[in-house]
Amino acid sequence: MKIALIGNPGAGKSLIFNQLTGLGVEVNKYPGSAIELEYGNVCYKNEKIELVDLPGIYSLDGDSEEEVLVRRFLEKDGADSLIVVLDATKLERNLYLLTQIAEYSLPMVVVVNMIDIAESQGLIIDTARLATIFGTEVLPTAAVLGKNIDRILPLALSSSQSPVLGVPYDHHIEAALRSLEKTMGTPRRKNLLALQGTGDDAALRDSAGSIATEIEQRHQMSVGQIIATNRHNFARSVAAEVVKQSPEKKRFDLDSILTRAFPGIPILFLILFSLLLSVFVIGSWMESRIVGGFTEFILPPFAALGLHPLAERIGYSVLVAMEAGLGIAFPFVFTFYLGLSFLEDTGYMTRAAFLADRSMHRLGLHGEAIIPMVIGFGCAVPAVMSLRILKTRREQTIAAFLIILVPCSARTVVVAGIVAAFVGIIWAFSIYLIIFILIIITAIVMSRLTPGEQFGMIVEMPSLRKPRIQLVIRKSWLRIKEFLFIAMPLLIVTSVFLGLFQYFGVIDIFQSLVAPITVSLLGLPEYASTALLFGIFRKELAFETLAVLSGTADLGSVMTGVQLYTFAIVSILFIPCISTVAVLYKQLGAKIAILTSAYSLFLGMLIGVLISLLMK
Amino acid sequence: MRTSLREDYLEAILIHTGRYSHPPTAQDLSEVLHIDKGEVSAHLRELADRGDLRLSDDGRIVLTDQGTTTGKQIIKKHETLQSFLSEILGMDRSSASDEACRIEHAVSDETIDRLGDYLRSPVIQPPAGDRAKPVHSCPRGHQGHTSCGYARSLMDYEEGQRLIVRDILGRGCSKRLLDLGVVPGQLVVIKRKLRNGSIVVQVKDCAVALSPENASAICVERIP
Repeated sequence: MKIALIGNPGAGKSLIFNQLTGLGVEVNKYPGSAIELEYGNVCYKNEKIELVDLPGIYSLDGDSEEEVLVRRFLEKDGADSLIVVLDATKLERNLYLLTQIAEYSLPMVVVVNMIDIAESQGLIIDTARLATIFGTEVLPTAAVLGKNIDRILPLALSSSQSPVLGVPYDHHIEAALRSLEKTMGTPRRKNLLALQGTGDDAALRDSAGSIATEIEQRHQMSVGQIIATNRHNFARSVAAEVVKQSPEKKRFDLDSILTRAFPGIPILFLILFSLLLSVFVIGSWMESRIVGGFTEFILPPFAALGLHPLAERIGYSVLVAMEAGLGIAFPFVFTFYLGLSFLEDTGYMTRAAFLADRSMHRLGLHGEAIIPMVIGFGCAVPAVMSLRILKTRREQTIAAFLIILVPCSARTVVVAGIVAAFVGIIWAFSIYLIIFILIIITAIVMSRLTPGEQFGMIVEMPSLRKPRIQLVIRKSWLRIKEFLFIAMPLLIVTSVFLGLFQYFGVIDIFQSLVAPITVSLLGLPEYASTALLFGIFRKELAFETLAVLSGTADLGSVMTGVQLYTFAIVSILFIPCISTVAVLYKQLGAKIAILTSAYSLFLGMLIGVLISLLMK
Repeated sequence: MRTSLREDYLEAILIHTGRYSHPPTAQDLSEVLHIDKGEVSAHLRELADRGDLRLSDDGRIVLTDQGTTTGKQIIKKHETLQSFLSEILGMDRSSASDEACRIEHAVSDETIDRLGDYLRSPVIQPPAGDRAKPVHSCPRGHQGHTSCGYARSLMDYEEGQRLIVRDILGRGCSKRLLDLGVVPGQLVVIKRKLRNGSIVVQVKDCAVALSPENASAICVERIP
């Protein structure tokens, strides 16, 4: 028995899924897609039910990754029953999706969620009427209060029905559908897609294409627009029958503050700044505990084992890599994710995107790009993953170049540990200033160089709401898992290689080979190149390796201020860490991964040389 | 004889012939053109001398090939102008027809050809010589206007204004916008407009944030 949850983003699907499944949820990539689906098993009356939480979508006809995935799921996998989750406060727009889902004629039950909020807004929804119109069971629920959630599964199991109605389309469209059905023998639903230029049947798309052109000539409107208009009009007539609006009480709208330029923009800065600051404070504290624990309780016993030097070297490398991974993952990345998921769950991030839209345009991007950028302050790996929300290749490319420059939490540790501690706090801020300027210059250059057209932002602003802690934790957990899966193995492999290189003296050869650059160009001690090399697999490690190689934690006693400053800025800029390069490769291909790495290497060297020359 | 008068005669004769499937008499023309019958006879003789028409034995007026060609051209001009005035500029059909009657005599063939092209697929044509890059941005051959022309876009209104969507152009015809409910005939309210042009509209109880370039591609009409 397989049951899938489907609905608009923000309709409360995830919360319902969470409440239905409890623990024991598996997250798997859907075959052939970058999107992960949540699967959960439930036992009901001795029957095993597999529940799937499909990604939130606005439509089944589009070509966004989520929409393509859900469409494929409905066509290929199907489900024994669909639970269609509608948002009672936005019923008309949600009905638009329902009219499309209905065309798949799968057995379903309809859940009208957030009925409590709708009632408080004076909306009365006649679910019985809705049930008669669509010919399916309709259940009002309030997931936040847990109301009627327990009735969903029994209803889906006992009385799922295929809906009975279809949208009446424009008569030209109907004629086209009939003629395609006759000539090609394809079902109505496929023909509708083909008329809009999607679907995987090339022959059907071709013959639909010529009919579509004719219709478009006549209507002076694209077929997609005609079909969407028909569906919306139908949804409106259904909503008019089902929803009664009693006069609404005037309530205070937080958006009257948040989305204005003033005080909205200062609030935005305040929120982002306090997010980063608290991540830094909490992260540093936790990190010192984890690293301390390793050096105290794990490394000495391991050293005491008295293994063969080669085995000891390898084992040590693995342990160091784990220390590095855990030392960054939980204290910084996880804390950051908690804060970010919290903000996302309130709906605030779309307000941030709106406020940032104009400034982002100057960088060749648009408002939504602020989300990968903000994530980049935590860690570049998830930031690159989140580039998916940008729709064009051009935007993704520009944003990738910027993300690798955004100072992530590991880089913040370098700046704090080296510059703020030994050179001065003002100098630490000057590094941020330099990076900020570099980001802007890079963006301006990239937005001219990158081919492609710029599209603006079209994004729904969900109503602000209280974040649900269980969802926040769950989302952060899923994200950190993603990070651990990608970063950890890479860290361990790289660390073992570096350990072996060190063991066989390759590092020393490397060190003397690049000595001309390190010593004469950058004015750094010879061993700094090794520290920089280690920085590739975790930026923060550059700082720790430097301390190890120089033989003292008091770096100020062995290197001058200029040297420390140069080292910090070079290690921050040059080559994104190995995990970032790996996701860049996975997400955007080898070309972008190589280009961004080469660019940051060049930038790091350039700025390093400039500083050592200027400050001599 | 004025060119415009000659063209009116040829047009009237063609239309009559087409409508009643027999050529008109001088009496018919006098009624249609509101010209005195004596004057009509004089004019017809003049036109016959120019080789535009001849009088048949039963008193009916038959156009020569030359007259037919000129008449057809003028009818085409009339129809093109009338469609443009009524369909694009929104005049009612009868005043559009009256207006077309006046413009048709002065308008050049090139203007009519271009207007005809425009009506068939209303793309703003770049000036000749700059033809390489037509302004199309929408997939599926949707019209590629880049501005609302005489109509107003979302960008032209202030916060709190209630508007009806009339058309969505080029850039704006993104699928996402359609799916969020921004379709012709939909009521939208401007909830927030920043000085820099970013805009939030309320569509079907949902707030949608748009970049200025998307907002300027949504043509709207004000609800008084």
